[in-house]
Amino acid sequence: MARTRGLVFALLLLSAVPTGALAQSITVQGGNPIIRLTGGSPIVEPMVLSSTTCMLRWKRLKDTAKITVSTVCPGQRFTLKVFAIAIGDGVAAPEVTLTDGMLAVDFITDIVRDKNRDYNCTLRYTASATYAQGNSGELGGDDVHTVRYTLLEQ
Amino acid sequence: MPLHLETCSDGTYINAVRAFNDSLFTFPFRMTLVRRAWLVALIVLSARIAVAQVLASGSHTVTVQVPQVTALQIMTRTLTMTVSAINTQAGQDEMTVTDRTTQLVWGINSSGKKITASTSVATPLFKLKLVALNPTRGTPAPEMTVNTTPSDLLLNVGRSTGSCILSYTGIALASQGAGTDAHVITFTVLNQ
Repeated sequence: MARTRGLVFALLLLSAVPTGALAQSITVQGGNPIIRLTGGSPIVEPMVLSSTTCMLRWKRLKDTAKITVSTVCPGQRFTLKVFAIAIGDGVAAPEVTLTDGMLAVDFITDIVRDKNRDYNCTLRYTASATYAQGNSGELGGDDVHTVRYTLLEQ
Repeated sequence: MPLHLETCSDGTYINAVRAFNDSLFTFPFRMTLVRRAWLVALIVLSARIAVAQVLASGSHTVTVQVPQVTALQIMTRTLTMTVSAINTQAGQDEMTVTDRTTQLVWGINSSGKKITASTSVATPLFKLKLVALNPTRGTPAPEMTVNTTPSDLLLNVGRSTGSCILSYTGIALASQGAGTDAHVITFTVLNQ
């Protein structure tokens, strides 16, 4: 009997470890944007274009959390930055320069618990390239980033 | 104080052995199923405390696409050159006037390019010559007589931004009389 109680208690303890993890969520909405730099004045460099077609949505059920961002982009040639605007909850970190293989850095901090609703923000991606950097055709292809957003305890 | 584990010969006991001041303390530790479960639970809990827990993650792809881009800009849009008495010398048939007030600016993000110039006037009354001066990038071609066929103005301007001064020289002969040529000069980026 003591053995059974011990087993049950140990199993309860283990089941308590990922408490609520499956109920927290973070999703990227708006698809996979393509930012095409089609030109500008030769007097002003670099060529710059922003996209705000995507949103980040999350739900936080426990203590204060934060969202980090990272990217993988093999053979990256051009510059891409991301910034959170119109945040429903939390504080936006400064604009992040996305670099291939970077460590995750803070994107939104001080997200408080609210089990009753989802929060979201708009993702403002800004791509830029100088004329000297060349074009996708000569360089073997576009820059394709896999950008990952992670919700974790702060 | 060093601590090491010893397994007894039949595998049913693990002794945790500690040495302290040359004396040896041993205590039996039976790894039953219950205790194994406790041990796993404690290990997992300690790992959870040591690292901030990842709650959820999501991703998408973002593509940056840069096609071939060519941008040219002329800083003075309309230029009037007049051969006047200032430009003439008695007894000399050829009269010239030069203007260097126009700047050409470019941005080209592909390799192996040149800039050419041509005019809309197929049979001009007077001769118009053109050469690029002081280019910040590239190599100026020799002075050209502008005609309807694109002629080299600047070479080796690929993957760059830059500027140059456009030096126009109008040449009229006194024997040709008076008249006006209205040129539309077109600058084109071509493969070198």
